[in-house]
Amino acid sequence: MNINFIGLIAALTAFFSIWMGHVLVRKIERHSNSIKFPAACFVIIGIFLQIGSFLSASSILSTTLGIFSMTTIWDSFELFRQQKRVIKGRSPANPSNPRHAQILKQHQSATTVDLLKRDPVGYLVNVDDALNLAAKKGKL
Amino acid sequence: MNTFGFFVGLITLLIIGFGFFWVIRGEKYLGYLWWPYFMAAGTLLVAISLFLANDWASVLMGILGGSLIWGSTEFKEQAVRAELGWFPFNQKKIRPPFADVIGKWKAPRL
Repeated sequence: MNINFIGLIAALTAFFSIWMGHVLVRKIERHSNSIKFPAACFVIIGIFLQIGSFLSASSILSTTLGIFSMTTIWDSFELFRQQKRVIKGRSPANPSNPRHAQILKQHQSATTVDLLKRDPVGYLVNVDDALNLAAKKGKL
Repeated sequence: MNTFGFFVGLITLLIIGFGFFWVIRGEKYLGYLWWPYFMAAGTLLVAISLFLANDWASVLMGILGGSLIWGSTEFKEQAVRAELGWFPFNQKKIRPPFADVIGKWKAPRL
């Protein structure tokens, strides 16, 4: 029986491109004053990857580039969604980024605390509990 | 021109989109302690993809598997989001087999 590696390669590409996007979008949105410029870069890189996918003779290369292209273009939208999360306080704001400093000034909901960086406790928590739990985790 | 990768990319987006749905529902009704089972199921699908001769079948199986593994690493954070009231919180969850053992493991968060 022949082994077909294309599924494994597609799985690895999908997994690592999601992971990379997940980390990059947060990092770039946190540190870059502009998000329109990196968003445009993501789209352009995505288009080039897609052209590469169209031009590759091998199915494996076409698959890898095709998946990578789509997730890169998706990352462009995620930059804007990430900013919305920061405004809502669902992702921490970075006071040394001028754009985030402005968000912190204009939106009461924004915070510098990462409320998600802890283990689940198994019950609904209120705002004070949430801050305490996040602070406790920070000290550990 | 090779359009295979383009369509695989589109399907990948759909499968990732479906991931948002099942991670939220899965965490709500089952709880984050199910993560090793989802990770194992994903790994199994990827393993099955190796034995599918048809490229489309192999790719679909692989991406579904990869998406299940990714989802398993999202469960813990989703549980915290629900506890914060960002998503509907459900107290009565179905506990997985060996929940006590799994509870002692460090759940992944990427």
